[in-house]
Amino acid sequence: MYGEFKLEMPQQLDEALALIAEDPAEVLSGGTNLMIELRARKLRPEQVVSLDALSELRGIEVDGNRITLGARTTISDILRCDDMAEFGPSLLDAANLFAGQMVRNMGTVGGNIACSSPAADLVPPLMSLDAEITLVSSKGTRKVALCDYYLSYKKDVRAPSEMITSVSWKKLAKNSSNSFYKLARRIGDAITVTGVAVTLTMDGDRCTTARIALGAVAPTVFRATNAEKILEGQILTDDLITTAAQQAKAQSSPISDVRASAEYRLHTVGKLTHRLLTQARDKLV
Amino acid sequence: MSTIVNLDDSVPNVNYRQVGKPLPRTDAAGKVFGKTPYAGDYQMPGMLHMRVVRADIASAELTHLDVEKARALAGVVEIITAADLPDRMAATDIPGQTGQKRMDTDQQVLVRKRVKYFGEPIALIAAETPDIANRAAELVAFTLKPIPGVYDPIEAMKPGAPIVQGKDNVVATHKIKKGDAAAGLAAADIVIENTYKTPFQEHAFLEPEVGLAWIDENEVINIRVCTQVIEHFRAIADAVGVPHNKVRIRGALVGGGFGGKEDVTVEIYLALMAKRTLRPVRLEYTREDSLVGHGKRHPFTLTYKTGLTKDGKICGLDVQIIADSGAYVFLSPYVLLYGAVNAPGPYKVENLNVFAQAVATNNMFTSAFRGFGGMQSCAAYEQQMDECAKALGMDRIEFRRLNYLNTGDEISTGFVPPSAIWTEKCVDLAWKNLGGELALKKDGPIKIGRGVAAYQQSYGRLTFLHDTSEAWVGVEIDGTVIVRSGVTDIGAGQVSALGQIAVEILGVSLEDVIIYNSDSAVTPLAGTTTATRALYMTGNATKMAAEAVRKRLVARAAKSFGVEPDVVDLGGSRAFVIDNPETSMEFIDLVKLCASDGIHRSELVNFKAPFSDYLDPETGQGQAHPDYVYGAHAIEVSVDTDTGEVRVLRSVAVHDIGQCINRAAVEGQIEGGTQNGQGFALSEEMLYEEGKLVTPSFSEYLMPTSMDMPRVEISLLESRSGLGPFGAKGIGEPAISPVAPAIANAIADAIGVRVFEMPITPERVVNALKGAVGQM
Repeated sequence: MYGEFKLEMPQQLDEALALIAEDPAEVLSGGTNLMIELRARKLRPEQVVSLDALSELRGIEVDGNRITLGARTTISDILRCDDMAEFGPSLLDAANLFAGQMVRNMGTVGGNIACSSPAADLVPPLMSLDAEITLVSSKGTRKVALCDYYLSYKKDVRAPSEMITSVSWKKLAKNSSNSFYKLARRIGDAITVTGVAVTLTMDGDRCTTARIALGAVAPTVFRATNAEKILEGQILTDDLITTAAQQAKAQSSPISDVRASAEYRLHTVGKLTHRLLTQARDKLV
Repeated sequence: MSTIVNLDDSVPNVNYRQVGKPLPRTDAAGKVFGKTPYAGDYQMPGMLHMRVVRADIASAELTHLDVEKARALAGVVEIITAADLPDRMAATDIPGQTGQKRMDTDQQVLVRKRVKYFGEPIALIAAETPDIANRAAELVAFTLKPIPGVYDPIEAMKPGAPIVQGKDNVVATHKIKKGDAAAGLAAADIVIENTYKTPFQEHAFLEPEVGLAWIDENEVINIRVCTQVIEHFRAIADAVGVPHNKVRIRGALVGGGFGGKEDVTVEIYLALMAKRTLRPVRLEYTREDSLVGHGKRHPFTLTYKTGLTKDGKICGLDVQIIADSGAYVFLSPYVLLYGAVNAPGPYKVENLNVFAQAVATNNMFTSAFRGFGGMQSCAAYEQQMDECAKALGMDRIEFRRLNYLNTGDEISTGFVPPSAIWTEKCVDLAWKNLGGELALKKDGPIKIGRGVAAYQQSYGRLTFLHDTSEAWVGVEIDGTVIVRSGVTDIGAGQVSALGQIAVEILGVSLEDVIIYNSDSAVTPLAGTTTATRALYMTGNATKMAAEAVRKRLVARAAKSFGVEPDVVDLGGSRAFVIDNPETSMEFIDLVKLCASDGIHRSELVNFKAPFSDYLDPETGQGQAHPDYVYGAHAIEVSVDTDTGEVRVLRSVAVHDIGQCINRAAVEGQIEGGTQNGQGFALSEEMLYEEGKLVTPSFSEYLMPTSMDMPRVEISLLESRSGLGPFGAKGIGEPAISPVAPAIANAIADAIGVRVFEMPITPERVVNALKGAVGQM
């Protein structure tokens, strides 16, 4: 049913890294994406390396100002974390609407990032939080800003010998608002049509930092940096927010598929960016 | 939990002991504890595993087929192609017990030369393991030369269109003519014309098609299969080339049907392979197989031209319906007929013209689906009623009130339904429960709206099909009861209801009954579990059988008591004198007396529905169905005008179900029908590109989840006027009928413009709003 491959179940991270360094492999974390691809024969790997035994990769840690999620932290773990509403409100928004219960129990943060789907729901929130990921190989460790991780559709900077082990971000600054909107064809268990995550930090009525991360409207999740620049350092008038939303729309390059047309995605990315920015401003000012 | 509303003019509530209560069904515990075997749970030693190889182009010629490489794979036991079946055909249109069928609708079992739809079966593989069968499927080499196809029924009717069926692709035409529609429209103060479109819909049952076949010591081909229709043993025998008594269908509790297991699915493939290999064979569809393996709901295009007087009466109605029948005929003519007969809905239309056509294309074939054409018409006529009220500037409930059919009125075919028509009561109650018109739609991008829809939906099969149903009821010497009937239980509680009916009549309790069902050789044939007929038909047969047994038991008890039989009742597992309950005996003692006296303690009954001739072919006048169900659904939605997202906030159902048998089962049907209708209205979309399915999984085909559904608020009216047992009507199909148009009307109420095509996706809402802005 899933084709024939060698299944490795390493007990230690070093062992896992050695396996993927030697031969090409698909890494199995929660399997909610990989198993579907295997069953549909879209992937025919020689080797699958299961991370099932690597419990050290699972968990949420707070170290001073920094929150770190192990790559194998599940979506349900995020939902069970009492402080997530403070650490990453947008991530909680995304986790709440993430697939269905069974997938939330199995699906992991690392897997969602590594699948490099433009519709991966945890990515826009994490990007709006300026998250950074840790990539480890048998040769060493490096850190990459999530906004620099993706190159093009399903392509990223991760080498075949590397594995994502964690993702981390700094706690939100004071006077910040952070939220995510998932637009889909139904509420439960749906693939995102347009995803918008926004972070605003204000100093009085002036915006000091703006982050706008957009999902499913380009080959990768990306930051609408042109829109962010328009806002930063400014007093957020309605006109300015409208201009920023237009910029976010202009920076998007969606496709048409069975879920929605490119025109609809453009329309909604503009409307939702506008809405989320307005809501964030109104909350803070 | 639903409320039962006793209206002033209903028959006073009869004091039933079992009937009408929300009882745990007889099949509940087995399902909850995982003990119930479904068809897929059966295995046999030495069984082979099958796989179907399918065409991956919708319109093509099979120019080359080579199975030798696949055959050579170790573990492959047999491969069957059309070359092995030179003269075998499979019926697609099987009306059931009468044995009549239209030969010209037969279908090749496997592709001989011409492929007419995406997924049409080319070869059958049997192997020692499922994995080997899968690998063999990849080794079957075939070449398909594309042939220009046609994928739109309107295109398919044009001269020069590629021909898929018959001379001109039109596989069925129905006309209904009453009064003078043209004159009525000419005399109208206002004429409202709109075209509505409804989509393909997938049944999406939890249990994909599965079966196990083997040949027994009498050379009978036994097939354990999930099906709504065990009577298909005849069609299977014809297709395989054996006498009818050499095929036996043994059903199992079915994991959902909805019409999708009404046609033959895996049975013929299993029978052919079992006969060829002389080994047990099992075939289980994957979800991907299932999506291309059974027919879908017919997409309808319905054009309504309604003539209105300025005081709000419908004075003329012209309806044109075009249905996409896909590549083969299957049940298209009947589905279309339901659409035509119900085209005016539960409204009085003196001047009516309906012209309906089903047209073949190279799309997936379409066949039965809950609502069976009637619900597609409802989706149109109830939206049209709101459009008419809007054009007249009238309250939409009051406009409907001026035009309702009432008890004793003729429907479109001139037939007077024998039961109550309580549309007005149902609409009024649904609208009241929802709270009536909203004064405020809310400022800001998110608007709130409300809508209501009424319906007319038949129960029981088309009367010209001459429907019958058998049931047997017997009492054992220890007082326990056995019901035997072929009825298939597709999850709605069909079997449990029979038990409830039998024990109500015999005065014992539900724990005392065992029901044997769904075996075409040993249980009396009950007919199909389709057409909202199981309770009506088999319920009546069971009730009549139980009454015959009861009559003999009561007579024997009366003899012992020294009274007349008409003063003896059975209840609480006792026989007693009605006005003198101390004069009584235990039911078990009465049964023993009867056994000792040689009194016949069982009965087999054949219940006959009303029989009619075919409707007049030119005017459509006559009787189409035994009777009809009426009710309403009311909906409140929010619509995000920025994104087009629709949320169903409240869902209110009111149905006159005649008489509840098991209230919990009725509620289950209404909740399921509501979900099914909401998906049809908003999110479910089978998309085909040149006939190829481009939504081949449940990540693209989106049914409402628990997060998308509000609580369904149910009120049940009991007119006790139905033709079923105790005055019951039926609820399986009616539950879905009004849901989609109520949602559409609520959306139009919220945003002031209408989306004329379902599903009403966020994108269609945005486009409708943009169009409305453009017009201003």
